[in-house]
Amino acid sequence: MKPAPVTHDPLARIAHATLLYEGGVRALNDVSLTLRRGERVCVLGPNGSGKSTLAGVLAGLLAPDEGTVALAGERVLDDGRVDVEAYRRARRSLGLVFQNPDDQIVTSVVEEDVAFGPENLGVPSEEIGRRVARELHRVAMEDYAQADPTRLSGGQKQRVAIAGALAMEPALLVLDEPGALLDVRGRRSILKVMDRLRETGTTIVHITHFMEEALAADRVIVMLHGRIALEGAPREVFARQEELRALGLREPWTARLATRLSELGVDVTWTCDDDSLLADLARMSRSLSCTMPPPPQASCDFAAEKTDPVIALDGVSFSYRDASQGSRPALDDVTLAFARGRTTAVIGQTGSGKSTLLRLLCSLERPDAGRIVIDGIDTADRSRRRELLSRLGYVMQRPERQLFAETVLEDVSFGPRNLGLDTTEARRRAEGALEQVGLAELAASSPFELSGGQQRMCAIAGVLAMRPAILIMDEPTAGLDPHSRERIMSILRELNRRGVTVVQVTHSREIAVRADEVVVLDQSRVMMHGSPREVFSYQNEALLRESGLGIPTSMLWARRLREEGVSCADGPLTMDELARSVACGLGRAARPRGVEKGGER
Amino acid sequence: MALRLGIGQYLPGSSPIHRLDPRVKVTGALALMVSVFFITGPLQLVLGYACVLALVAAAGVPVSRLVESIRPIVIVLALLAVFNLLFIRTGDELWRWGALSVTTDGLRVAVIFSLRLVIAVIASSLMLLTTTPTQLTDAFDAGLAPLSRLGLPGHELAMVFSLMLRFIPTIADEAQAILDAQTLRGAPLSDGSPARRLKAVAPMLIALLASSIHHANGLSRALDARCYAGGATRSHWHPLRMRRSDWLALLAVAAYVVALVGLGQLR
Repeated sequence: MKPAPVTHDPLARIAHATLLYEGGVRALNDVSLTLRRGERVCVLGPNGSGKSTLAGVLAGLLAPDEGTVALAGERVLDDGRVDVEAYRRARRSLGLVFQNPDDQIVTSVVEEDVAFGPENLGVPSEEIGRRVARELHRVAMEDYAQADPTRLSGGQKQRVAIAGALAMEPALLVLDEPGALLDVRGRRSILKVMDRLRETGTTIVHITHFMEEALAADRVIVMLHGRIALEGAPREVFARQEELRALGLREPWTARLATRLSELGVDVTWTCDDDSLLADLARMSRSLSCTMPPPPQASCDFAAEKTDPVIALDGVSFSYRDASQGSRPALDDVTLAFARGRTTAVIGQTGSGKSTLLRLLCSLERPDAGRIVIDGIDTADRSRRRELLSRLGYVMQRPERQLFAETVLEDVSFGPRNLGLDTTEARRRAEGALEQVGLAELAASSPFELSGGQQRMCAIAGVLAMRPAILIMDEPTAGLDPHSRERIMSILRELNRRGVTVVQVTHSREIAVRADEVVVLDQSRVMMHGSPREVFSYQNEALLRESGLGIPTSMLWARRLREEGVSCADGPLTMDELARSVACGLGRAARPRGVEKGGER
Repeated sequence: MALRLGIGQYLPGSSPIHRLDPRVKVTGALALMVSVFFITGPLQLVLGYACVLALVAAAGVPVSRLVESIRPIVIVLALLAVFNLLFIRTGDELWRWGALSVTTDGLRVAVIFSLRLVIAVIASSLMLLTTTPTQLTDAFDAGLAPLSRLGLPGHELAMVFSLMLRFIPTIADEAQAILDAQTLRGAPLSDGSPARRLKAVAPMLIALLASSIHHANGLSRALDARCYAGGATRSHWHPLRMRRSDWLALLAVAAYVVALVGLGQLR
């Protein structure tokens, strides 16, 4: 291939690529992109913007309908003409890891899975052995070489998938939202692996919904409607706040803090770099001649009265009957009460018993010991099961898996019809629920034609249509873009306002701090239970970190600010609280702007 | 989780059985399984059990694990035994109660036929517990090679088999999750009349089918990304090679089969 004029020796070059899906959807629309060797590029964009399609094109798995594509020195697509042989050759130097680790692991033993790619490439057997050992070490999975992948956590599986791709020694590794379905710890471990890859000179294309992850990239690309909407160094891209917001994206945390502070009248320079914002604030604080009075503590501490528990667990223990999983109980002597009309976030790392707790609450399992009473009904009481289920709504992990009907409306009215409601009423409720999640205009489409985010909403509507008094959700926002996450959170707030009790398992501290109560599970037991302010405290930091969680970013920031002599609130749970207290400390709080609890600040 | 099956649950280890060539293990297990049909008397039964239990001991597979993986089938066999016991009417009558009777033939068939099948079950699950799916695929690949020569997809069949083993637990978990979710949306899957239940199964099956197709799409993407292109150009991390121990094992299996059949002729 002739070297491109701009950079010498580009690894991949896409020129004017357009890719159409069935029904004429333009997944890529005149996209041009050049990747330099050793570069780390981050691709952002809302659900359905064409990011995954771009990933497929770069990994050599999808050929655009128009345009020219050169990958790893092979001209695979020349003005719309596909060269199949060139694609085959190019793919040998391209690796892809995508969202769901379950689909990427093809054998039942970790090390054999890592060997699968090199075997396909015809690598000699001694060399395969070397590569397997090297890559398992790189992703810190060498202790699991003989393990069965289906028994690993999501983060571990994803690391195996990455090792499997790396063992093929690709020149380009495409990671398509590798952390979307993982918990905080799992995501962190993936980022660590990516940092290590930089040393090897592998070119990386990383697709993500987490803006903070983009900061480590050399270049950021923002996709919208199949086009590249923004492109540049992370700092440049994130500085274009207005455009980002219009695209439904958010800036990284630090940048949002800077923006919020200047809204509050604090004259900081906009930045996405922690240290420079910190230095800015420290300088401003030092220049204050007199010391300001300490800022008032935000009054978020609601009364500790625990009125009318709608769900009560008393000494509940449970273990799965599966000899190979060992006899450790999944829940061990758990006593808990959930107050009526409250929202509770259940947090804890993978395997701490969160999902088991939800299954027990939904009476999908019965406790081995102890009892669970929901709204006066014992979950072990089979005779009142129907009555119990009519009050509960359960949104499982990735609930879009349960869609089945021919139309969205039909799917959503499945629950109401099962409740014995007549067709008109069931339809009315279904339409109401669709309105609530913003899918009203898609009621007549097939649920299988919706985008991933819309499918999630459809499945949630199916539960809401049953008008449950208690809503139980297992990570409802996992894998969604910030916009859809915010949408689900606002639906939950609205339901809660109408008196629905909400219990949700989450990996997001941002969501947990906005709940009324937080339950922390660790190793099958309740480690903490209290208001977000009680749970997320500096005293609990070590404990929370041990269980893979840690305290909110705002609190980490507050501590650093105090160390620098900037006066601010003691344990701010949200960015807004932090920003206000800093502004107040600097004497700039006179202008009240923005609404408290409103957005995700 | 409740639906997890024992198939494809490889148990890591380095016993002499684990180290055998998978082709030998597959051939041996097949031979053992077929040979149980020659068992007609107690002496042969004893020989058969002595042989498989020796193999279990040599493989170092914990008995609890073995029992776990064969339990469902053994329960079915036990039920069949009861039927045989009660419904075979030939031979001398030993006991009678109303319409039910137990005869010598019934007893013999119930005991020996069931117990001999347990040998076959143990042999097959021992093979699955000590052989990785990749090795199994390689073995089947080798076994199906004649098919490939005829232009049939021998290697691909073996790969499909291996992927099936890998995805059974995943799909089972998925089925459980969908079942739970739809039960909680009021689907009469676990109560209501049989007709209602049958009708309620359809949504669950459609959802499961849709999500299986989703998995299949993901899997095909993964196979492409990892340059899987059939058997011809692949290399093997652990190429199959028959060693002395493998030939000895084959010889031992042959000797066992001859002894078993011979024992049957003696009577």
